[in-house]
Amino acid sequence: MDLNELQRDALGEIFNIGVGRAASSLSQIVNDTVLLSAPEVTLVHREDAAKVLLGSEFRQFSTVSQHFSGAFDAEAMLVFPESNALEIVRLMVGPHMSVEELSEFEQEAMCEVGNIILNACMSALADLFHLSLNGTLPVHRFGDTESLTFLAGSQEQMVLVLQVDMTISQQRVQGHILFLLSVVSMQSLLDCLDIYLREQGLL
Amino acid sequence: MTTDLECGTLCSVIDNLEVGVIIINAERRVVRWNHWLAARNCHTAEQADGRLLLELMPEIIGTRLELAIDQAIRSRMPSLLSPALHGTLLPLYQNAEDRQRNRRMHQLIHVIPLVDAPLQAACLIQVNDVTATVSRERVLRQQAENLRRNSFVDPLTGIFNRRKFDELFALEFAKAQRQQKTLAMIMVDIDQFAAYADWYGHEQRDLVLRDIAAELKAAIQPAGDILARFDNERFALALPGMEEKAACLFAENLRLRINTLKIANESVAEGKQVTISLGVAVMVPEASADTHTLLSSADVALYQATHEGGNSAVCFSVEEGNFFVCG
Repeated sequence: MDLNELQRDALGEIFNIGVGRAASSLSQIVNDTVLLSAPEVTLVHREDAAKVLLGSEFRQFSTVSQHFSGAFDAEAMLVFPESNALEIVRLMVGPHMSVEELSEFEQEAMCEVGNIILNACMSALADLFHLSLNGTLPVHRFGDTESLTFLAGSQEQMVLVLQVDMTISQQRVQGHILFLLSVVSMQSLLDCLDIYLREQGLL
Repeated sequence: MTTDLECGTLCSVIDNLEVGVIIINAERRVVRWNHWLAARNCHTAEQADGRLLLELMPEIIGTRLELAIDQAIRSRMPSLLSPALHGTLLPLYQNAEDRQRNRRMHQLIHVIPLVDAPLQAACLIQVNDVTATVSRERVLRQQAENLRRNSFVDPLTGIFNRRKFDELFALEFAKAQRQQKTLAMIMVDIDQFAAYADWYGHEQRDLVLRDIAAELKAAIQPAGDILARFDNERFALALPGMEEKAACLFAENLRLRINTLKIANESVAEGKQVTISLGVAVMVPEASADTHTLLSSADVALYQATHEGGNSAVCFSVEEGNFFVCG
């Protein structure tokens, strides 16, 4: 299973609408310009998603996850290297905290940032595909790649990997959004995408 | 199998929850406003019933909470609003006094779509009071900050302590070594200070230490220079990038500055005022050199200055191996 060029471009465009909306929400909260872009979408097998994360120099991650269900089921997860996540929170909450002392207070803030971004991406999909998805509340975790249980398991699953670039207070922070879908759900998503492309006269 | 509860029982459960609950319908009108919320807001459940939420709490307009409600009702997406980013969004107060002073509680808000009968009940807004957590957090952060400060500041003079000096000096030394730039070191001692303390007492002694530290601090460049209380009545200065000639002038200038303070000292035979002696050493550290070389050079220069009567600045030329008086 793979994305063709048209599908890849369309998904990229849809997710960029989503992260664009998220950026304006975040900007409103911090009273400063927050920019978000998702320059690249790839579809990989679950085993390879871990490699994408492990491939980076980072070992500790901050994750915010939400489960979405409806026309297709997806576990969505925003993943930042821990130090980048702390940087985001520091820039949003204020400079008075050092990176070592991330408390419950800041974890909740990170959880909210993830919630805004993930909701925005999934609503963009739901809006353009004219379908409704139910979501769960976000959960925030810290851990290394091994503790990303999300990426372990025997069932064959696909992961849509979105690279995210976030610019806040002129600092650029990078992370990923992962959507984990069963093969069946992935096929449903691609079917929805093809219908959308047909509506747009692109297919 | 779970038992289905009667509607009335469920409403009573909602009313008795120890969190704030607002349930609104698809038109954003309030269909449930529980006791917890009524007790912390100016509207009773009866007053709130059937009214538009944005009318009851116009504070919500234009905030992320308004967006979150829209998202819950239109797209079934739940949201979390953290106290760190929103703080005291809703007009909720722990008691009458807080209300009078407009001191709102800190809130953690969950906005959850309700999908079973969305026309009647479309969205649940749950509010937790996290004021206690937020204040505890502040206290802990303040304590952490104090501890951090105390670990590197000399409590009497407010300048760096010896520990911090050793750390910063080692860094500057390594930098000078890497970049092959000069590093100047000045050691400062208050002349015959033990006699002063015996004469005037310890309180007065502490005041003088504080004044001299403040005077030295006023003379340095806070961005790059390092000033610390080295031990009892000795101060150390590290001046990155300063050449020998400039360091000598600087040391002589410090000596004059302390003289102009004119701190009376009846315990000495000559001059009758507090004076300082200074030892200067400057080097471009070679790869094999260590911090000790520079420190001990400044130290011998200081010894020379003190033992030739005090109130002077002496430089030990590391290259030539000789002493000369600055200024």
